[in-house]
Amino acid sequence: MISCLLIRVSRNQQGLPVLKESALAGESLQIGRGAACKIHLPDHRVGLLHATVRRSEDGALYIEGENGATIKINGAAEQSAALSPGLRIEVGPYLLVVEPVPDGRDIALSVEMAHSLQEKAATCRTVPVTLAELGLSKRKLGFSLASGILFLFLLLPLLASTSTTFDKWQATLPVILTELWNPGPLTGGHSVFGAKCTTCHQQAFRAISDDICAECHKQVAKRLREDDLHARIFKDVRCTDCHQDHRGKAGLVLHDSLKCVACHGDIKGKYARTEFDDVRDFATDHPPFNITFPDGKNVVHVRQDDKGKLVEKPGLKLNHQVHLDKKGLLSPKGNTVLACRDCHRLEESGAHFAPMTMRKTCQQSQCHVQYFIEPVEEVVPHGSEREVLNRLRELNARWLAGSAENMAACKPESGAGMAASHTLGCVDDLARKYAATFFKENLECGQCHEIEPSGNNDVPWKVTPLHINRDYHPVAVFAHSRHDTVDCTDCHDKANSKPSAEIAMPAIEKCRECHAGNRSVKGKIKSTCDSCHRFHRAAE
Amino acid sequence: MNLSQSSTLIKYKNYRYFKIAGLLVAVALVAYVSVKPADSLFYGGTWLSFVLGVTSALIIIVLMLYGVRKRVASKVPERRHYRTSVVHQQEERNAQDDFYALHKAERRKRDIREGWRYGGTLQGWLSAHVYLGASLIVLASLHTGFQFSWNIHTLTYVLMLLVIANGFYGLFTYLNYPALITRNMGEDTLNGLLLKIDKLDELARIRALDLPDEVNALVLKARRETRLGGNLLQQLSGSQHDCPTDAAILGIRLLSKTLIADDQPKLMRDLYSVLLQKQKLVLRVRNEIKIKASMQLWLYLHTPLSVALLAALFTHIVAIFFYW
Repeated sequence: MISCLLIRVSRNQQGLPVLKESALAGESLQIGRGAACKIHLPDHRVGLLHATVRRSEDGALYIEGENGATIKINGAAEQSAALSPGLRIEVGPYLLVVEPVPDGRDIALSVEMAHSLQEKAATCRTVPVTLAELGLSKRKLGFSLASGILFLFLLLPLLASTSTTFDKWQATLPVILTELWNPGPLTGGHSVFGAKCTTCHQQAFRAISDDICAECHKQVAKRLREDDLHARIFKDVRCTDCHQDHRGKAGLVLHDSLKCVACHGDIKGKYARTEFDDVRDFATDHPPFNITFPDGKNVVHVRQDDKGKLVEKPGLKLNHQVHLDKKGLLSPKGNTVLACRDCHRLEESGAHFAPMTMRKTCQQSQCHVQYFIEPVEEVVPHGSEREVLNRLRELNARWLAGSAENMAACKPESGAGMAASHTLGCVDDLARKYAATFFKENLECGQCHEIEPSGNNDVPWKVTPLHINRDYHPVAVFAHSRHDTVDCTDCHDKANSKPSAEIAMPAIEKCRECHAGNRSVKGKIKSTCDSCHRFHRAAE
Repeated sequence: MNLSQSSTLIKYKNYRYFKIAGLLVAVALVAYVSVKPADSLFYGGTWLSFVLGVTSALIIIVLMLYGVRKRVASKVPERRHYRTSVVHQQEERNAQDDFYALHKAERRKRDIREGWRYGGTLQGWLSAHVYLGASLIVLASLHTGFQFSWNIHTLTYVLMLLVIANGFYGLFTYLNYPALITRNMGEDTLNGLLLKIDKLDELARIRALDLPDEVNALVLKARRETRLGGNLLQQLSGSQHDCPTDAAILGIRLLSKTLIADDQPKLMRDLYSVLLQKQKLVLRVRNEIKIKASMQLWLYLHTPLSVALLAALFTHIVAIFFYW
């Protein structure tokens, strides 16, 4: 039997000990958190049955750990230890001290919680349960973002536009800072300026002046200044009214007709001496085209509805109907069916046709190759009248020198000897005789050319010079290459044209079959003023 | 904001700001369709685009002023009871007594007077904020002419769309989440639930003392490692991977089959019951934290993005007029 005085020690608010004594007795004293233990230590760090106080065979008391549990005896981990006054035993968080033995007891033990477990209450958790407790700051984040934007997108581009050194430096960066202000890609030639905005935008918060444009576009500026009409009418118009950049693929030029119609809608009211009619829309009230062509020596401009004056004098007799016969033409290479493009070949620009030549165009299938039959068979040179006559002289001289029989053809009737002067005269006579057979109206050369007497005895024939018109609308923009989806004869009625004086230019109604005006029309191509007209070209 | 408040926000003054915003959008659309710019190319440089841009910028400034109006809201008499200072509370109680003692008609006059003084009621401001903000989607989009690039102008537009999209989410939460909170919390408060959890933790600890060490370990872990709240993602997720409380409940269920001590089954049942109660509370707390975080998070983005938008808008305007 073990009789024990158990002194439970607790601390008041001042930290002073408060003692509570109780008596225990038993064969052994169990120490543990289990309710059955005599020395009950209610803490989960203490085992259910942590240790037991027993009496040894010699009557001494000792403490022993249960189920392999260790106990700390005076700071050292032990399995068991003899109990003597002053011994300090640590069981979990509790400190048990063997006190001096009181009268009538075998042992006295004081028990105190030495390492109280400060469990954190849910209400006192350090883990945040609201966003505010995370330390997030709307203000800080907002000002950081705003500062970043102002620095990167405002301050740096401003520096680049005000400091040349900084501008050069920023050009070496992978991201060009001034590009951050660029509202859209630059057009064509302007793209070489790259991010150097100050090339055009020379003054902050000031619009681009025409003088800045004129620094590069010298010719345009000069023409506009020198042209009296434009200088007066467009004195308040800025380049940027019609030319706006940063529009990407839309290009630099405003293709809208509004600005043109602002004047040309009532052009007579604005300029009484004008030769132009009022025009507002290609689709509705555009006047008939003006046709420009050579009228003999002069170049004339005739409105297409003035059909009486619409007669061309090219100096060439060409029957398009014959040449475009679908059954074909008999040529040295056999039956040949000609198409327009066999003679009219587009230049690389796509705008005009290449000039036609006798050799490349008319003689391409050995057609129109003329031959002298007498005195020998030889190709007639396609040159001036004098060249043809000289060639005949040369041929006749060679023919006479070829044999005595030939020379006999030149023997004088008087029977006198063949003087050199007589021979040359004979050659000239023969050459003129043969030449006269070529320079005849509607025969040989006259088949294509108009021939008239020159009044010059040396070369008595004159071939009328040719005036082949290359452009009937010289101030308009027209590219044949962009119209190759249609046949030539769809617009030019040359298949039924016999005389070359006929001008087979399509009328405006023909264009309107495919081209709409200022407003889009389904199935037609929207066509504004600048589809055909160029403002600056008109100023030339 | 309760249901009636949200209803007021949407239907404020018989849809006054819905009508204004709708009219703005309609006029802008009609103008966009009917006014043909040069080359039919609509971009930021046309006169109509300029008008739309100025209108949009002014609306953005008005929307930003809502934040200012909210800060002066506490000065309006009807809001005085929100003050917390004891002295102020006393003063406010007196003021409220005076206020409610006034005749109804006089109170209305006073409302109107205060409304003018502070630029209308807060409900009105919020209603305008929502509808005018939504109208910007159309107005600013037409202003851009749908020309976008990697520049400050597009950045401004994108920031504006982000702020609006974020605002829509905020509106959604304000209209729907209060009901969820009420359903989840009932009469309880977050702190009240946390206190209950504390008590259940302590009760579980005591109940576990007479039980084996394995059970104590589970209970201790459930107490120490059950996480309520946490970082942003943890708050928003409303759950904990391998929650120790769930694990303790499962563990005790398994251990109860092996422990056969005399009074342990009853102790185990008691402990199990306590932990189940805790589990329910933990779920409710986590739900509360999740809903509150979702409700608050949009504002943590809305305000900073709005400030960033203001900076971008300023830069956009400077850039346009600097290189005129």
